[in-house]
Amino acid sequence: MTAVAQPMQQPARGAEGWLTVLVVWHVIVVLGAAAGLWLLWMGQAALPEWVRWFSIGALALMAFGSIGAVIFIPRRDHRGRTLSLMVNYIGFLICTVALLQWIGAFTGFDELADRFPRGLPFLGVAFVGYLVYAFADRYETMPRRQRAVQRVGGFIMLAGLLLAVAAIIAWEAVPAFVLERLQPVILASLAGVALFGLMCWAMWRRPAAQAMHVNNARQETIEGYLFLSPNLLGFLLFLAGPLLLSLYTSFTNWDGFGTRDFVGLANYAKLLNLTLAPLADARQPANQVIDMRIYDELWRFSFFGGSYVIGAADKLFWIALRNTFLFGLLVVPLAVLPALGLAAILNSKLPGMKFFRAVYFIPSVAAVVGVALIWQWMYNATVGWINYGILRAVELLNSALGMALVAPQPRWLSSSDTALIAIVVMVAWQVLGFNTILFLAGMQNIPRVLYEAATVDGAGAWRQFVNLTLPLLGPTTVFVLSTTIISAFQIFEPIFIMTNPAGGPNNSTLSAVLYLYQNGFQRFSQGYASAIAWLLFLIIFVVTLVQYRRQGNTSYEL
Amino acid sequence: MSHKRMSVALSLLVLFSLVLGACAPAAPAAQPSAGATEAAPAEAAAPAAGDVALRWRTRPDNQEEAAVYAKISDELDAKLEGISLSYEPGGSEGASYQDQLKTEIANGTAPDVFWIPGTDVADFAKRGLILNVADLAAATEGFSVDAFYPGPMEFLTYNPESGANDALWGLPRDVSTFVLYLNQDLLAEAGAPDPIALAAEGKWDWDAFVEVAAAVRGLGSDIYGYGANAWWGPYGTWMNAAGGGFFNADRTACNLDSPESLAGLEFEQRLYQDLDVAVPYGEDSEPPFRAGKAGMFQNGRWATPGIRNVTFNWDVVELPKGPAGHAGNWLFWGAYAINANTQHPEEAWKLLQALTEASTQAQISALGTNIPSRVSQEAIDAFLTFTPPANNQAFINGLQDNATAEGPLWVGSWPSYVTVMDANVQALMTGEKTIDDFAATICDEANKAFQE
Repeated sequence: MTAVAQPMQQPARGAEGWLTVLVVWHVIVVLGAAAGLWLLWMGQAALPEWVRWFSIGALALMAFGSIGAVIFIPRRDHRGRTLSLMVNYIGFLICTVALLQWIGAFTGFDELADRFPRGLPFLGVAFVGYLVYAFADRYETMPRRQRAVQRVGGFIMLAGLLLAVAAIIAWEAVPAFVLERLQPVILASLAGVALFGLMCWAMWRRPAAQAMHVNNARQETIEGYLFLSPNLLGFLLFLAGPLLLSLYTSFTNWDGFGTRDFVGLANYAKLLNLTLAPLADARQPANQVIDMRIYDELWRFSFFGGSYVIGAADKLFWIALRNTFLFGLLVVPLAVLPALGLAAILNSKLPGMKFFRAVYFIPSVAAVVGVALIWQWMYNATVGWINYGILRAVELLNSALGMALVAPQPRWLSSSDTALIAIVVMVAWQVLGFNTILFLAGMQNIPRVLYEAATVDGAGAWRQFVNLTLPLLGPTTVFVLSTTIISAFQIFEPIFIMTNPAGGPNNSTLSAVLYLYQNGFQRFSQGYASAIAWLLFLIIFVVTLVQYRRQGNTSYEL
Repeated sequence: MSHKRMSVALSLLVLFSLVLGACAPAAPAAQPSAGATEAAPAEAAAPAAGDVALRWRTRPDNQEEAAVYAKISDELDAKLEGISLSYEPGGSEGASYQDQLKTEIANGTAPDVFWIPGTDVADFAKRGLILNVADLAAATEGFSVDAFYPGPMEFLTYNPESGANDALWGLPRDVSTFVLYLNQDLLAEAGAPDPIALAAEGKWDWDAFVEVAAAVRGLGSDIYGYGANAWWGPYGTWMNAAGGGFFNADRTACNLDSPESLAGLEFEQRLYQDLDVAVPYGEDSEPPFRAGKAGMFQNGRWATPGIRNVTFNWDVVELPKGPAGHAGNWLFWGAYAINANTQHPEEAWKLLQALTEASTQAQISALGTNIPSRVSQEAIDAFLTFTPPANNQAFINGLQDNATAEGPLWVGSWPSYVTVMDANVQALMTGEKTIDDFAATICDEANKAFQE
């Protein structure tokens, strides 16, 4: 988009009065924000900690923004308009959210979900009204008829919506609702919504923009940020904010309910605290060489004729980390390599390929919990279908070949030797279809002309696949590998559902995220769980970074 | 009207209707209880004006139980003047009941009254998440903690600040004990002695148990003599029956390496390893029992509704007596507690009492799920009529035979302790660890839970 840096040409009539009002308004905002900051800083307001810090940030932003607006608006500097719009827009949003919170809108949405179906037939009427309204566009050449049809459509829409509202709202509770909401805090937030909204409107108007010497380019920039704002604010509030909060929490001993006491790096120190001690012989008990009040035996090994034991202050963390790496090592090849082969087959023009594409994709869209429960049943060692199938197959072999083979009955989920593998198979099966579709999309983006040229050069199907398809699939492969590895490192649901106790047997399926969950939600250790989360984040970040670095060496330009 | 204005006007109207639709029904929740009119047993979404609206939650084990609780909620709604009730069944395969509840408490959206397992009472009480209702109870005419089984009440009245039993954190919803569910057809086919008859003669001990289990196991490679699920309840009974237990006397240190506890665990390990009579440890034992492939299945009263659907002849018998002279059974319980942040503690206390009344508990017991938590011959007599199983007396015998009440840890962390214990016992039962290896390290590991 090319912005033309030309001042707007219309005269700035009627804007001066509003600009004076805006300056006064921003002075009031500065004073109000300063008072609020003082109260929050002195701990006068009894608020949850995260609300307090959020409020401090928001008030500081509004105070500094308003100071800028007070300075720049009298100079008719366009920066004053930008700052004023930013402050009033944020103020409007905060007041709206606060109003909805205080009137109970957010906690009432479950009730709304229950009552909403009552209004659906009337919403159908409103939709019919909309269709009639839109139908009026056919009469562009007959304005009177167009307006008449629009009126009819609008009336039907309005009637439908009013009836829907009447059906949805619990009218008997409305008087009590209104009376109860006549509280200072609700009225104040309502006034905030009105005032900030009004000031936004006043500054947004064309006369004010002209008076502030806003050109088209600057206007388009502001409009761009306005369109971006829902996503940006959502990111800041629901991703960046919680991330920072969890980082801070990782330095505390917060249990999820009480106050957060700062403990510095204690959580990280406990997680990473290891000790190494030599053993007199390989069978010597660990409690004779390491302090068992702090450490548990993690691993013992022999090296150059000597035996050693490694103790860990948190043995389970290291076991979880080992299991997570092992899971990733097993599941990534199983979920990626067959997907590549399948994609190559599905990319052919054999009949029925569209059907098979859908079939392979179905597991990816199935709910994890449902799939995990089915696999859990199949894996049951005593009455499960897999062992039953093995039993019948061996019986068939014995009767057909006159042998006396004993059917193995693996304890898929109750043996430490097989439990993780059983979950790897289930997850690989579920992810396979999604990866296949990604590879398929990548293959279909490769120009056919390259294959035709390769055919002319005498390359067979295998040579084409190895020397053409695979290199050109580089970016897709990196994406598939990255997403599969990241999801493998975050494995949680199948283990939580399929193993009993979760992470068993004997911690052989305990994953890092499951251990994080157990600490945060079952052992009241949110601070410790946050530290685990950040260590896991660092590991995933490094692995992903290495992959993307390698991508630079393997991608090809078409 | 232009398209744009029409769109804006309609959008605002829809937004307004949605917000008002969401807000309006919640209005009576915060109404003062003074001046309350007659309670209306109407649908929960529209409580009568002036009523105090209370939300309550418990964890049903199946849909039938959820329906009974919903019915109880409707009845109490009509019975409790000035209170409107809304029942929320909690827990599912994908969302642990307690974890969801804790999250809601932290968020300020938890129900006014909720059920928690007995082992969780300390964690909730120490953090101030549930209300100490001792004062309300003291002011209630006719209320006595002695009306309930003493084991749970010992834990529910403990005050960690005073060290005395002068608090009240809730009231037990129900109690249960373990029994052995018997596939009588399988036992008869194996020619095994009848455990119920042996119990009546006082000969139902560990040796007799092994004899029956081995006889059934002899029926085939896919037929098992005994099955139990992999959690602390089943293995705890073997330890208790040998005279051991999880903790020392004042529950401040590990007792898993005591000779008695080890004797119990060693006996159980033999069932899985040397004798090979049990459904492999860690496998869900209910499916093979229901499929007619296990002779004895150890579980609580809560399994009864499911077992009632099997097609073979079945009954129950108490657990066999161990070297300590008793069966080492547990007295399982969970409690209704009041959210510390409830706006209506007095009404919540009324609800708590109503939920634990004999008549309310009888409805749950009739379904077959659990045993009333009130100590009264009337309640026991009523429970015995809720058949099958014919031998309901086995549950009552379990309660009366030195049953150890499950309980919370007021010092230390029960979840951390049980994590260490579960993993090590599992390693023992699957043969990955010897009893000597287990004994050498278990308390070093488990005692760290008391430092949390």
